[in-house]
Amino acid sequence: MFVFLEFLVFKTEEMEINLGPQHPSTHGVLRVKLRLDGETVVQCTPIIGYLHRGVEKICENKTWFQGQVWTDRMDYVAAVTNNLGWAEGVEKLFGIQVPRRAHYVRTLLAELNRIASHQLWLATHALDIGAMTVFLYCFRDREAILDIFEAFCGARLTTTAFRIGGLREDVPPGMDRMVRNFLKAFSTGIEEYETLLSENRIWKKRTVGVAKLQAKDAVALGITGPVLRAAGVPYDVRKAFPSAAYAEMDFQIATRPEADTYARYLVRLEEMRQSARIVQQCLDGLPEGPVMAKIPKILKSEVCEVYHSIEAPKGELGYYFVGEKGGANPYRMHVRAPSFVNLQALPKMTEGNLLADVIAAIGTLDVVLGEIDR
Amino acid sequence: MTAMTLTQSFVTALLQIVVLALFVFVAVPVIVFAERKVIGYVQLRLGYTRIAGGLHGVTGGLNRLMWWMGKLPFFSILRGFPSFIADGIKLFTKEDIVPEKADWWVFHFAPAISVVAAFTVLGIVSFSPAPLWTWPAAVPIVGGLPFAGVISDVNVGLLMLVGVASVGVYGIVLGGWASNSKYPLLGGLRSAAQIVSYEVPLTFSLLVPVVLSGTLNFTQMSQYLSGAPIQTSAGPAQMPALAILPLFIGFFIYLTCGFAETNRVPFDLPEAETELVAGFHTEYTGMKFGLFYLAEYANMIIVAAVAAAFFLGGHHFLPFGLQRFIPPSVPVVGGASFGWFLLWMALILFSYLWVRATLPRYRYDQLMHVGWKWLIPLSLANLCLAALVRYFA
Amino acid sequence: MASFLRTLIPLDIYGGMKLTGKYFGKVLREANRARIRTHVVCEYPEVPVKLQPRFRGRLTLLKDEQGEIKCICCLACEKICPTQVITIEKGKKEGRKLPYPVRYDFEMERCIFCEFCVESCGFDSIILNHQFELAAYNREDFSIGMEGRFQNMFELSPVARYSVAEEAQR
Repeated sequence: MFVFLEFLVFKTEEMEINLGPQHPSTHGVLRVKLRLDGETVVQCTPIIGYLHRGVEKICENKTWFQGQVWTDRMDYVAAVTNNLGWAEGVEKLFGIQVPRRAHYVRTLLAELNRIASHQLWLATHALDIGAMTVFLYCFRDREAILDIFEAFCGARLTTTAFRIGGLREDVPPGMDRMVRNFLKAFSTGIEEYETLLSENRIWKKRTVGVAKLQAKDAVALGITGPVLRAAGVPYDVRKAFPSAAYAEMDFQIATRPEADTYARYLVRLEEMRQSARIVQQCLDGLPEGPVMAKIPKILKSEVCEVYHSIEAPKGELGYYFVGEKGGANPYRMHVRAPSFVNLQALPKMTEGNLLADVIAAIGTLDVVLGEIDR
Repeated sequence: MTAMTLTQSFVTALLQIVVLALFVFVAVPVIVFAERKVIGYVQLRLGYTRIAGGLHGVTGGLNRLMWWMGKLPFFSILRGFPSFIADGIKLFTKEDIVPEKADWWVFHFAPAISVVAAFTVLGIVSFSPAPLWTWPAAVPIVGGLPFAGVISDVNVGLLMLVGVASVGVYGIVLGGWASNSKYPLLGGLRSAAQIVSYEVPLTFSLLVPVVLSGTLNFTQMSQYLSGAPIQTSAGPAQMPALAILPLFIGFFIYLTCGFAETNRVPFDLPEAETELVAGFHTEYTGMKFGLFYLAEYANMIIVAAVAAAFFLGGHHFLPFGLQRFIPPSVPVVGGASFGWFLLWMALILFSYLWVRATLPRYRYDQLMHVGWKWLIPLSLANLCLAALVRYFA
Repeated sequence: MASFLRTLIPLDIYGGMKLTGKYFGKVLREANRARIRTHVVCEYPEVPVKLQPRFRGRLTLLKDEQGEIKCICCLACEKICPTQVITIEKGKKEGRKLPYPVRYDFEMERCIFCEFCVESCGFDSIILNHQFELAAYNREDFSIGMEGRFQNMFELSPVARYSVAEEAQR
């Protein structure tokens, strides 16, 4: 009847938009294909593979010693934890007993790296949401950690910090002082991040209740790390399957029940504090002794398979090795990369929300594309 | 004024326009320079301290000069000064790219609309209470005439300001639409909604001094805020002490809306870098982008000037009408001056940079929420308060 | 009522502004002239970067006191190298019992600076020096041999002359 009035009705259509791979806030080369209705996200599809280098395949052609350098380049903001996973996995496969001092130093460096990784996360996440200054304050404190890595192993990011069977060298003289100085600076630094963000009304508006992921969904999707703990599930590989010196450390698992972006922010801040505690304990209780176990010059494996997982800053990082008889290199190597698994939650978190929340969700998942694409 | 012939008034106005345009063309790069320095210092950096180029030749010499400047107390702040000239040269000489599917006419006119709106408004801002100087008699045509601190002292100045300034949004919306690209479109739409909704509380908060004094004129408002009695078309008025309260509240509402009107943090949604790449000017290059840039900073100058004139005592030292406690006989501080106006403008411009360095960005719906549910009722209540003060005083 | 007032009076924003304002003031006062600096900028290249003693830079061949190359071509570094950037050609030299490297080629563009080669060397004949400015204008300049146009296995590249402090040029 009123067909002739049809021109009065606004015709709307959904818009398809590519967020990335070249976009300021997709942290590398993540491409997210979004269908938008106005600014509301109807469908969200993460597309990965722009940084694929075939790390797993390369490692199958390298010896057990050599493969470690590729783990540096997976999660490049947390190279030490990646090294730790590789070294411990290979040691588990060959049954090598690592000296206690080496365990302590490994724990110390891995926890420092967790702080560095979380600082980088906070820096970029805050920058995505628009707070520019937190970025530089985080980098100021992270610089001290990178200096410690440089003092220990000579490189700042691609550390190749550990060796199969222990450490290459003992800690350099003066590293003790550097770590203590860092801990002192960090305790005031974290106060400053909190001053700028925790109570800030705009920060709270942008994060409270945004990108929710309930515990049920998180477990179903295989999410680990701070994203899972912020949903109230106290799962931490450091407590569940302690390796290195974690069994001797006194720390709590940070959890929050809210399961939103703000909860993840609080969980990560608390984790940084706990990591600082662990670093302090490692430093105080550092045992004397050798740092390297006696291992043969060439490692030849039997037919075996090993899965070893550690708690990387992003979640559970697992290394799966298959060895063949007399193999100087892994027959098959696979990495359970936490970022890769965590990225699955992105559509669940964002669909039905606004475009700006997609940015917050990508930030809060703390994905590193080097690890996703490997 | 009456003694002027038509030619004289025409030439005077022309000279004033040239001086004002030069002022803006100098002030904008200075603000950009200050912005980078202030944000750098807040973030424990030094801002820029050198310019690109080799170690030899002109750039090498400048870099060496700036390195030595770094060791001197005051000059260390000015390091990196050649870059604001370099910025201008870059914007003027960059290749001008027009997207193939863009609407050619609208694409070219959009930046012009923004700039014209911004510059027109500057014409009615009264920078100085007294003439800045008198042309010496030797100068042809304008010899012996004063050079006023305002191009046109319109007696409905504020009305014209609000009206013309709101045209500027067309530049952004049309620019976003004409680019025929998705991110600019979203940026343009966001800015349309944002500027239209923040225009309301902005105007309401500006009405507070208007209701109190009964004038829309910049010069008279400045006199009113100094506590002197003024004669308006709405009758004589003198500022009561209680008027400080609505002025104080109104100033903060005005400043918040000013941030939103000029698309600055925390309301910089139209050009939210981490969401929309560069917002409405993603597809603009070269001087067309430069015009948007110029318009944004000119708008900042306008917001600062209006805040200074209508809330912060105009050409006087103390804000919110506290000037009444300083008798005019006190030297420097007591009188009206061009300097105080610029000082207040500079302080407000600094607060822009300071806020930008500190705060995160609102989301689109939250922006609307803040605008409609908080600022509009607040500014209305404040307006009622001002009306009560006026009625009982 | 309390929450209403809290929304109305932005104390939370005030805290952040105070912090950033404090740092602004400090850096403004101390920029470039105070001995204790608040800012964290290192003004490279005018000021050389301070490197830790274990810093892993470019691969360098060492010579002993007589000016003789220490390398004896055991090929351990060539074997351990994960990216296979080292190529050694064995040779003989008058008056030297041990093998002598006729060619020691190092493809720097592929090197990942893991220090496995230095670790594997049983004769301390190679080292990673403290040079981190490894840029060159031609691709060929990244293939470093015993004698090179731009840089060779014994000396620093000309680019590095500013940043590596004298005592660190080991």
